[in-house]
Amino acid sequence: MSEDLKIVGLLCNWCCYGGADTAGTARMQYPPNVRIIRVMCSGRINPSMIFKAFEEGADGVFVGGCHIGDCHYDAGNYKWSRRAKIVQDIIEEFGIEKDRFRFEWISASEGEKFQKTMDEFYKTLQKLGPLTLE
Amino acid sequence: MLEIKHTLCPSCSVGCGINVVSYNGEVVGTNSYKRHPINEGKNCLNGRNSIDMYKNKLKNAKISNSDVDFEKAIDEVSNILKSNEPEKISVICSGNNSIEEVNKIKEFADSNGYNIGFYADNFVNIAGDVASYDEVENASNIILIGDILYENPLLGRKIVHAKDNGANVYSFVENASVTANISNEVCGSLDDVLDKIEDSSLVIYNHVESSDDLDKINDITVKNNSKLLAVFSKCNSKGTANIITPSSKEEMVDLLNNSDVLLVFRDDIKSEIDFDYGKIKNIISFTPCSNSTSDVSQIVIPISSWLENDGSFVNAMGLTQEFKAVIDSDDLSEIEVIEKIQDKL
Amino acid sequence: MTYVLAKSKNSEIHEAGECGGAVTSIFKYLLDENLVDGVLTLSPGDDIYDGVPTFIADSEDLISTAGSYHCAPTMFGDLIQKYLSDKKIAVAVKPCDMRSIDELIKRHKINPENIYTVGLNCGGTVSPITGRKMIDLFYEIDPDDVVSEEIDKGQFIVELKDGSKKGVKIHDLEQEGYGRRNNCQRCDIKIPRKANIACGNWGASEGWTFVEINDEKGEELIKGAQKAGLLETKSPSQDAIDARSKVEGIMIKLSKKTQDAIYDKVNAMEEWNRCIRCYACRDVCPICWCHENCEINKSYFDESQIPPKPIAFQGIRLSHMSFSCIDCGQCDDVCPMDIPVSLIFDKLQKKYSNRTGYIAGVSDDIKPPLYSPAKEEL
Repeated sequence: MSEDLKIVGLLCNWCCYGGADTAGTARMQYPPNVRIIRVMCSGRINPSMIFKAFEEGADGVFVGGCHIGDCHYDAGNYKWSRRAKIVQDIIEEFGIEKDRFRFEWISASEGEKFQKTMDEFYKTLQKLGPLTLE
Repeated sequence: MLEIKHTLCPSCSVGCGINVVSYNGEVVGTNSYKRHPINEGKNCLNGRNSIDMYKNKLKNAKISNSDVDFEKAIDEVSNILKSNEPEKISVICSGNNSIEEVNKIKEFADSNGYNIGFYADNFVNIAGDVASYDEVENASNIILIGDILYENPLLGRKIVHAKDNGANVYSFVENASVTANISNEVCGSLDDVLDKIEDSSLVIYNHVESSDDLDKINDITVKNNSKLLAVFSKCNSKGTANIITPSSKEEMVDLLNNSDVLLVFRDDIKSEIDFDYGKIKNIISFTPCSNSTSDVSQIVIPISSWLENDGSFVNAMGLTQEFKAVIDSDDLSEIEVIEKIQDKL
Repeated sequence: MTYVLAKSKNSEIHEAGECGGAVTSIFKYLLDENLVDGVLTLSPGDDIYDGVPTFIADSEDLISTAGSYHCAPTMFGDLIQKYLSDKKIAVAVKPCDMRSIDELIKRHKINPENIYTVGLNCGGTVSPITGRKMIDLFYEIDPDDVVSEEIDKGQFIVELKDGSKKGVKIHDLEQEGYGRRNNCQRCDIKIPRKANIACGNWGASEGWTFVEINDEKGEELIKGAQKAGLLETKSPSQDAIDARSKVEGIMIKLSKKTQDAIYDKVNAMEEWNRCIRCYACRDVCPICWCHENCEINKSYFDESQIPPKPIAFQGIRLSHMSFSCIDCGQCDDVCPMDIPVSLIFDKLQKKYSNRTGYIAGVSDDIKPPLYSPAKEEL
C-alpha cells in the first residue's frame, strides 16, 4: 500500500527545514509519508546515514540543503553535493533504484518548491513501490 | 626489526596457516599466508585475533589471585601433588596442546598414576571414514549439522566451492545464517537432515547435542557408505584424540566429582563442562593467558603460547601440520614446566 | 621523462637478479651508503610460490631477495603505514603497491621524504595455490620442479631445474578460471610512474633492465648507484622505447576489455549473502587505515545481522574510500567466503574517475577530491 511508503527527509536547519515550515504554515498539502530529520547542514550528512535509512526500511531518502552559494557554513553544501554523487553511484549497485534517493536545494522561503518536490518524489516512489533489500 | 613468519592458526581444527608480524621481538599483527594450501591466505576474525593470546599473556604466576614468584608457585604445585593420593589427582588435557605437549602430559599423568581427562566437544566416538577437504570440494551431497560457514569459515568456503560445482547442500542450523543461505534446504530437525543422506554423501558437523545424536549420525553415515567430518573447536583435538581417548560430558563430570586436585593444561574446562568447581580442593591451571578456569584456580602457572614454540597440530581431516616458533621467548614452555614439576616429585 | 637501460656491475647480483639485477644493485647502493635504514622486499618462504615480505637492513642479505615473484600477491602500503612509518626505507613496488603508498601519502600516513620507491612493471600476479594447480593441470609439470616463472609475450612461462621452459597463453589459462588474479586481469596501470623509477624487461635487451626515471629522486638513485660502481647504464634505442610502450598498450587494452565485460555484473552479485562480517576486507585494505574509529563498528551499524545488508556494510566503506580504490585485490584474496569484493570498489573508482578524472594513486591531486574544501560541484 502506497500510504505506507516511508520517506526519510534530512533537511538543513537554515533553509530546507525552513522551507518545510513555510509550506506547513501556508497549509500547503504534501504527502505525509516523509519523516523529517533536521540537521545543521547538508554538509553534515554522510552517505552512511542514507544507507542506514535504506537498511532500516526507508523506501526513499530525501536530502534538502541550501542553494549553492548560500551555505550558512560557507561550503557545506558543496561537500554534500560531491558526496551525493557517490551515494547515487553506490545505491544502484545494491539494487536500490537511483530515483529512490533525491537531493534538492530549497531555501526557507521556497515552501512551494518543497511541496512540489515532495509530491514529485512521492509519485516516483509510488511507481517504484516498496523497497525490498536482499 | 620487522619480521613476518608462518605459523598455524590455533582457533579451530580446520588447520589454516597464518603469518604473524613481529617488530623488535614483539608480536604486532597478522598477515595473510597465501601459500598455505588449506586457506590460501584467508583467515576468519578469530584467526586474526588469535595473536591476542600473546598480547594478553600472563606476566606472573599466581596463588589465590596474587602474583607470586614462579619458583614458589612450582614448589606449591609439587607440594600439593605430593600430599594427595594419585587417584584423587586428575589431569585435564586439551586440544589446544600440540602433539608434543600432549605426549608429555600423558607421560606425566601415566608415570605418576594420575587420572587423565580429555574433552573434545563431546565427539566421543567417530566411526567411519573421515573426509578430506578435497573431498568436501568435490562432494555431490553434503549434510551440515551446525553453522559451519560462520563458525568454521575456511571449511565453509570449501562447501561453497562444492555448491558452485553443483552439490546439494542440506543443513540443520538453529538460526537464519550464512549456512542456511547456501543450503538447498534448511531442515527442522536432525532426523530430517539425516534423511537427506544418500550413497556417498558427506556429513559435516561442528556441534552435536548428545552422544545419542552422535551415534545416530555415525550409524546413518556408515550405512550409506558416506564420509564424516567432525570439526572440533580446538586446533589439535583430533591429534590429542589419537593419543588420549576423549571423554563424554558425563564422563568428564564423573572425573571432576572424583578429583581433589585438578591440573588443567592449556584448557578452559569451566567454559565447556557445567560443574560446581568450588567443590574441587585444588585447581591448578597451566595457561598462557587467563580464562574462566584460571579465574577459579588456586594456582595459575604461566606457560608460553604456541607462537613461542615449535610443534605440530592434527587438523579435522587428520592432516599433521608442523609449525615453528615465530618469536623468541623468555617464558618456559609447557613441556619445560612439566619437567620442572616432575623433577620435584 | 628519461629512459635508461641498466644492469648490475656486481657479478653475484647480476647472476641472481632478474634482467641484470639493476633493482638489487640500487638497493645495495642505498644500504651501503646508509641512505636508508632498510629495504622492504620479498624473499622466498616455503618455495618459489611463497614470497614473504622481508625487511633487510644489511646489504649482504639482499642476494636472497633477488629475482621476481609472479605468485606473490603481497601488499606493501599497509605494512609501511603500520610498522615502518618512522623508518627511512627503500621498497620494491608493483603498480598497486605504489598507488597504495601514494594514497597513504595523501592521507599523511606515509612521509614521502622517508621513502625511496623502486617500481616494477607488472603484468599481473597469480595466487600461489592457483599457480601450483595450473602448473600441474596445464603444464603437466610437478609444481615443485619449477625454479622460476615469468610472464612474457602473453604467456606464463615456467623454467625447470634442467633449464627447459614451458609456456601457456595466459588467455587460455584465464578462460578456465586460472591465470592472473581477477583484479590483475582488470588492472590498467602496468607501469608505476609515481615511483621514483619504474623498472622492467619490456623493451630491454637480454640481461638489461629498462628503467624509466620518473623524478629527481629517481635520477639521484641511478646516478648514485652508477657512481658507487654498482650499476652500468646505456641509453635505449628508439626501437626499445617503442617496443616497451607497445607492450604496455596491449596490456592496457586487454584490461579495458575485461573491465567492459565484468563491470555490468556487479549489481547482480549474489555472493554478499554469505558475508560473515569478519572485517577481513576492511582490515587488509591498504587505504582503510582508521580501524580504531571505523564507522562499521559504531553501535548503529555493528548490531545488524549476519550476513549484513551489503548497502549498510560495504556501502559505508565504499562511501569512505572507493574513490581511492587502487584495485590491489587484497580484499578478494582474504575473504574467507570468496566474495569478489574488489570488483564493486574498482567499478566505483572507475565511475568516479570518469566523472572527475581522479585516478586513485596515479593522479597528482593533493587530496582525493571528496575531502577537498573547494567550492566546486562534480
